[in-house]
Amino acid sequence: MTTVWLPCGDYHENYTEDQGWWQSRLIKGKMILLLLLVFVVIPLLSKYEIILDSYWLGVANMIGYTAMGALGVQLLIGYAGLITLGHAAFVAVGAYTSTLLILKFPWPQVILDLGLAYPISILVAAIVAGFWSVLFGLPSARVKGFYLILTTMAAQFITVDFILTQYVSKIGGRGQAFSLPPGTIKIGPWAIETDTQRYYLMIILLTFSVIIMANLLRSRVGRAWIAIRDNDIAAETLGINIIWYKLLNFFVAGFLAGLAGAFWVCNCAALSPEHFPWFWSLWLVGVILIGGAGINGAIYGSIFMVMIMEILQMAVIPLSEYESLEFLIVKFAFIKDMAFGLAICAFLIYEPRGLSYRWWQIKNYFNLWPFSY
Amino acid sequence: MAEESIKITEDLTIPQLFLSQCKRYGRKKVAMREKEFGVWLPYTWQDYHDKVKYLCLGMVSLGLKKGDKVAMIGDNRPEGVWAEMAAMCAGAIPVWLFQDCMMEEVKYIIDHSDSMFFVGETQEEVDKALAIMPDCPKLEHVIWDDPKGMRRYHQEFLHSIIKVQELGKELDKKEPDLFEKMINEGNGNDVCLLFYTSGTTALPKGALLTHWNMLSMGQSLMSLDPCYDTDDFVSYLPFAWIGEQMMSISCGLQVGYTINFPEEPETAQHNIREIGPHVMFAAPRLYEGLTRQVQVKYLDSTWIKRKAYEVATKIGYHVGELNFEKKPVPWHWKALKYFAYIIMQKKLKDHLGMSRLRHCYTGGAAMGPDHFRFFHALGVNLKQIYGQTEIGGISVVHRDGDIKFDTVGTAIPGTEIKITEDGEILSKSPSVFIGYYKNDEATEKTLKDGWLYSGDTGFIDDDGHLVVFDRSKDVMTLNDDRPFAPQYLESRLKFSPHVQDAWVIGDKLPYVTAVMCIDYSVVGKWADENKINYTSYPELSQNKKVYDLIQKQIEEANKDLPEPAKIKKFVNLFKAFDADDDELTRTSKLRRGFMGDRYKDIVESLYKDDMDSVHLDMTITYEDGRTQRIKTDLRIQKTGGN
Repeated sequence: MTTVWLPCGDYHENYTEDQGWWQSRLIKGKMILLLLLVFVVIPLLSKYEIILDSYWLGVANMIGYTAMGALGVQLLIGYAGLITLGHAAFVAVGAYTSTLLILKFPWPQVILDLGLAYPISILVAAIVAGFWSVLFGLPSARVKGFYLILTTMAAQFITVDFILTQYVSKIGGRGQAFSLPPGTIKIGPWAIETDTQRYYLMIILLTFSVIIMANLLRSRVGRAWIAIRDNDIAAETLGINIIWYKLLNFFVAGFLAGLAGAFWVCNCAALSPEHFPWFWSLWLVGVILIGGAGINGAIYGSIFMVMIMEILQMAVIPLSEYESLEFLIVKFAFIKDMAFGLAICAFLIYEPRGLSYRWWQIKNYFNLWPFSY
Repeated sequence: MAEESIKITEDLTIPQLFLSQCKRYGRKKVAMREKEFGVWLPYTWQDYHDKVKYLCLGMVSLGLKKGDKVAMIGDNRPEGVWAEMAAMCAGAIPVWLFQDCMMEEVKYIIDHSDSMFFVGETQEEVDKALAIMPDCPKLEHVIWDDPKGMRRYHQEFLHSIIKVQELGKELDKKEPDLFEKMINEGNGNDVCLLFYTSGTTALPKGALLTHWNMLSMGQSLMSLDPCYDTDDFVSYLPFAWIGEQMMSISCGLQVGYTINFPEEPETAQHNIREIGPHVMFAAPRLYEGLTRQVQVKYLDSTWIKRKAYEVATKIGYHVGELNFEKKPVPWHWKALKYFAYIIMQKKLKDHLGMSRLRHCYTGGAAMGPDHFRFFHALGVNLKQIYGQTEIGGISVVHRDGDIKFDTVGTAIPGTEIKITEDGEILSKSPSVFIGYYKNDEATEKTLKDGWLYSGDTGFIDDDGHLVVFDRSKDVMTLNDDRPFAPQYLESRLKFSPHVQDAWVIGDKLPYVTAVMCIDYSVVGKWADENKINYTSYPELSQNKKVYDLIQKQIEEANKDLPEPAKIKKFVNLFKAFDADDDELTRTSKLRRGFMGDRYKDIVESLYKDDMDSVHLDMTITYEDGRTQRIKTDLRIQKTGGN
C-alpha cells in the first residue's frame, strides 16, 4: 500500500496508481518546483552571480558526486542489509574505466567527431563497475554481518591499493596519475570544462540514478530486497532467490558507483588512486547514517556533509589569519575528520533515524494538524 | 441529473431504471468500487449489468419466480447489491436482514416472509441458514459469495454465487431475451422490497414498498439536494436500514453516482476518509462518535495545535450561530471564517473525510443540539431527516440555509404533513407503502385514506418546521409534575467524549438520575495516563476515579439546566448498551420500557436514600448468541451540590 499521506478524496483503483510516483497534487507541485530549482534556477543564479557563484556550483557538484555514491551504499545497506565498507573501490573502477576508455581506446573517428566517447565510456564504466561489484558481492552468498564488512573492505584494498595503484596506474609508464588535458572530455560538441557544464552533467546523472533506484524499489525486485533485509530466511522460504537478488543488488550499487566515478573524471585534471581512499567508503556510510532512510536520506546526507565541510572551511580560513591559529589551515584534513566523527556521534545520539526521519516528522506534524495522531 | 434522460413515472420499475442506466453509462463509468487488497477495485455499469443479469438468470433457473421472497444478509459489498438487483429483475422481492441479527430474529423474518432463497456472505451466514432450515420449510436455496471456510460444505441446496452465475449464463444461451423480458414485465406499482422495521416494542413488521414508492422518494430528495453522477457515496450502513436503501438504490440509481464499499466494517471510517464522499447519511451515533474522537484528539494535541483548534472553533461557532439565526454574516466574520478554514477546519474536515461533502444527513434517532452546532461550526452541512420505513425512508428534511437543530425541517416535495388533534404526525406522499405483509390489522391502524399514521407525536412550529416531540421520551415529569427532557439530557451527556451512552431516569419519580456507559477506549486511555489499573470494562467502569470523572461531566451538563432537570445520582453500568441484549434497537435507539424492567434493581436503588451500591444478578447475551450470567455490585454516586 502506498505510504504517502493522501488527502481525503484521493484514492487508487489499481496498483499502478497505488505505486505511482507523485500521488497527490501537493507532491507533484513540490517535485516540479524542485526540478525547476535544480535545472533552471540554480544555474541561472550562478550565471548572473546572484547569491551563488560558480564556486557554489562546484560545491553542488561535490554534493552530487557524494549523493550518487551514497545512493549505491543506501541500496546495499539500507535496502538489502548488506553492509559495505568498500564502495569507493567501485567508484574508482568507474573512474578508471572511463578514463582508460577516453585516453587509450582506439575510437573510430566518427565517434570522436560526434563527441560520443565520454558518454559511451560513462555507460561502460557503470557496467564494468557493476560486474566488479558482483565479483566482490559473491561472498555475500555465504557470509553476513561483520564478515561481509571484511570482504567488502577487501574489495577496497584489492582494487584500489593493489590493482589500481600497482598495475593500472602504471599503464603508459607515467607513474601515478593519468592526466586529463583540457578538451579530452567532450559530450557532443561541448568540451566539459566549466562548473556549469559539470553541474548539468551531474544533475542529469543524479536524476537518472534516482529514477533507476526509485523504480527498482517499487517493483518486485525492490520488495525482494526489502524482504531479504528484514529476514533473509523468511525471504528464502517465500521463494525469493536470495543469492540472485543480493548479487543484483551489488550490481546496481556498483553501477551507480560507476556512474559517480565516471562523472568524477570530468571534474579532475588528473586521476590517481588517492581520489578513492578507504576513508571515502567510510564517508559514504556516514552520509547515509546521517541522511537516514530512503533515496532522499542519501541526498540529505550528502548535502549536510558537504555543506558542513564547506562551512567549516569558511570558518577556519579567517581564523587562521591569527598567527596562533595558523595551524588550523595546515591541519585542516584532521579537523575535517574530527568534524565527521563528531557529526556521526551527534546523529547517533540525537537523531539516530537521520535527517529523512526528521523531515518525515515535520511533514507529519502538518499532515496531522490539528491533532497529534 | 437523471431527469434529463429518464423520467421517473409510476410505470417505471427499479430494474428498468437499472437497465437504462447500464445502457447509458456502459463501460464508460464506474458504478461501484470495493476496497480489496488495498485498492478500490472498480466495476463499470457494464460489469454491474452482467453480474446482475447472470445472477438473476441463475436464480431463475434454480426456480425463482415472480413474487418469491429472497432473504439477504451480510456486510455491505457489491455482491449484496447484485443479489438485491437480481431478485428485483426477476420480479422477486428482496428481504434484507441486519447482519448482526440473532438467530431467533433471522428465523422469524425468514419464516414470516416466506423466503425461498437465502443469500449470505460467508460461512457465518450459511451456518445461520443451516440452523434455521428445519424450522423454515419454505427456504429452498442458500447462496454464498465468500468461499472462506466453505470447502467442506457439500449440501445440494448450497450454491456459490459464481456457480449460480454460470447457471445463468447457460440459461442466457438458451433464452437470450429472458432477462429483458422479465424486466419489462414489471410495473412501478409492484412490490419491490419487503422491509422489516426494527420496532422498539413488538415483533418486527414487514412493510411492503413498491418501485414507485422508492423511486418517487429518491426523486423528491434529489430535487432538493441534487447529486451528480460524478459524485461518490460510501455504502457502509446495513442494507437492512431503509436509509441505506434510499441512498444506494433509490437515489444512487437515479443519479448514477458511484457507490463505494469499504474493505471491512471495521475499516469503514478509514475508507470513508479515503473516498471523501459528496453525500452521506448516517445515524446520529456515527456523528456522536466523530465528535467524541475529535474532542479526545484535541485534548491530546500539542499546545499550538490546541490553540489553533480553539480559535477556529470559536470563530466557527459564532458564524454557525449567525447562520442558525439567519442573520447576515458581516464581512469581517466572513474573513475570520476563511481564516479558521485555513488554519484548522480544512485539515479537520480532511481527517473526518468530509472535505468534499455537500450534504450530510442524520436520521433514525434524535441528535443533540451540541453535536449539530459542532458540525455546523466546522462548516459541514449537516441536516436532520425524518421519515419511516413505511414512507420509503424520508418525508421531512432541513433545507439548505434553513436549519434549526430542534426541528427536523420541512416536508419534501410531494409530501403532505398533518398533525392530528392528539398530536400524531400523519404524512401522505407517493412513497407511502402499501401495507404490512401478512398483518392487515397493523396495516389498517397505520394506513387510513392514504395517510400514514406514524405513531410519533409532534407539532409544526412558526417557521413551518416539523418538530418531532415524543411525550413518552421527550418530556417526562417528576412526581411533583415538574417536567424534564430525558432525550435532551442524554444527548448533552453524550457530548462528553468519555460518555458513550446514557439513560436518564425520573418519570414519576422524585428527581432525575442517570445510568451511564463509559466509552471504553477514551476512558481507558485516560486511565492509562492517570496510572489507573484495570483489566476490563466492568472493572474500569467501577473505579472510583472514573466515577469522579463521570461526575464532573454530569455536573458540567447540569450547569445551565433548570433545577428539576439536574441529575442527582448516577450509576456507571458494567457494560455498554447493546442491541443484542435488546437494550437498543438495531438502529441504536434506547428501548426505555425494556430497560426499565431489565434494570429494575438499579432504578429502585437509585431512589433509596441509604443505598450507595446496587447488587445485580442478570444474564447478558453475546453476538453469537451465547449468554452469560453476571453478578456484580455497582456503586451509586451523588453529584455535587445536593
